[in-house]
Amino acid sequence: MALVFPSEEWVAAYETAIQEHDDYKEGGKNWTYGVTVLIVNAEPDIGIDEDFYIYLDLHRGECLSCRTCTPEEGEKQPFVIRGDFDRWKEVINEELEPVKGMMQGKLRLRGDLPTIVRNIEAAKALVRCTSYVDTAFIDEV
Amino acid sequence: VRYPADLDFEYRCPTKVIVGKKAYKQVRSEVSNLGCKRAVLVTDRPLAENTDVVEMVKKVLAKYLAGVFLDVEPDSSFQIVDKAADYARSIDADCVVSVGGGSAMDTAKGLALLLKTGGTLADNLGINLQTEPVTPHVAIPTTAGTGSEVTHVAVIKDVERHQKALLLDGFLFPNTAILDPLMTVSLPPHLTAGTGMDALTHAVEAVHSIYRNPLSDANALQAIRIIRDNLVTAVEQPKDLGARTSMLAAANLAGEAFANAMVGVVHAIAHSIGALCGVHHGLANSLMLPEGIRFNAEEQPELYVPVAEALGVTEPGMSAKEAADRAAQACYDLAARSGMPTRLSEAGVEEAHLERIAEMAMSDGTILNNPRIVLEASEVMGMLKRAF
Repeated sequence: MALVFPSEEWVAAYETAIQEHDDYKEGGKNWTYGVTVLIVNAEPDIGIDEDFYIYLDLHRGECLSCRTCTPEEGEKQPFVIRGDFDRWKEVINEELEPVKGMMQGKLRLRGDLPTIVRNIEAAKALVRCTSYVDTAFIDEV
Repeated sequence: VRYPADLDFEYRCPTKVIVGKKAYKQVRSEVSNLGCKRAVLVTDRPLAENTDVVEMVKKVLAKYLAGVFLDVEPDSSFQIVDKAADYARSIDADCVVSVGGGSAMDTAKGLALLLKTGGTLADNLGINLQTEPVTPHVAIPTTAGTGSEVTHVAVIKDVERHQKALLLDGFLFPNTAILDPLMTVSLPPHLTAGTGMDALTHAVEAVHSIYRNPLSDANALQAIRIIRDNLVTAVEQPKDLGARTSMLAAANLAGEAFANAMVGVVHAIAHSIGALCGVHHGLANSLMLPEGIRFNAEEQPELYVPVAEALGVTEPGMSAKEAADRAAQACYDLAARSGMPTRLSEAGVEEAHLERIAEMAMSDGTILNNPRIVLEASEVMGMLKRAF
């Protein structure tokens, strides 16, 4: 059954996808820079009533934890990437490469860009892992 | 000329541009038009002490001038931006007027950001973080090179990490750019040459960037034509206002082009050379531009056909590869004719630095915009060795 993005269930399935497939083990093997938080901006018209926070604790190719978190916890992490739902939908559909999205102003990054650039393969692997989750987008359900 | 069917781009150029001899006299009305009354003038001490330009602008600003920050240094740093912000807050500034080259304008962008957000620059590192306009900024370039007066990018040195950090935000475009040749006539020949080659590099890199588009190409190629015809004159005849105005316009066009199309591997390497060896940014770009073209042309020589045409070095029946080679050589020749060093070894770069420069370039954000994917630091090392 397809899981709705964004939702707790989708995030749990994403954690499993990262842990069970080799994409991130290889692509993220050099990532040692702490937690990355992804934020889907609130959009009440399509059912996202509040900003949706996804907490990714990744280290040397392993996913230690992928879960939702509070704004208070999320905003203090070293890398915070924020975007509208439509942008994240483009990322998951592999229509928008995330670093390119940052450079074009479609996604907002709080954190050190050179670290992200050095680890672009980790970012690409994370995007590939979304393809293992049977996803139904909230604006389409 | 044909663009792909999936061409997809956004183009931004929100800065009001005022051009002309004595255009600087409009600075007060521009500050007033922005609803401001207390400008902080951001500049550097040598410019204030060795030329008249800072006094000229101060005189026009008159009662709209709240104070002058003189401590901008070449390759501005986080510390300098933070210091400027402390000063501007202490005088209750409500707008920023930058007078100088890229360092002054980039410092002013960081300052405009901090006056809005509070905190230090390190607290505000990121890409496109702002959700509303920052403090108004009027930019008056005294060099014709960086194009920073029409870009949303600031390059600020992170001294602790010996790396140049990229501030990129749609709200960092200055509100107004005033391009006045009188502001550039006192620029010494080597800086006229270095900044002019910087503008040429912006234009060429905008043309080969993966974000190139018809609007950025139009501006970039016209910038190349203008530089081709005016750089050497501006170097050899500093008081030639026609050449000076032309170079300001070219730098502006190239700035607008790369603000939208971005820059690539040449800048990635130049940023690293500057951060590690202290080489002037325009010179570093100039030294690496021919090798950057040759590197990319191995895979996509067709990108350089319009560049070669704009540089006036094509011949009928020439292949794309030949045109790319001619374009690279023409850039090299223009630097040489402008009296600039043409080898890294002549510019104070030591061979022992090359490996570190290559490693640093691999983590510079601009390398991602390059048309040929740079997979390994060894590829950058190859370019560096050839340019050494």
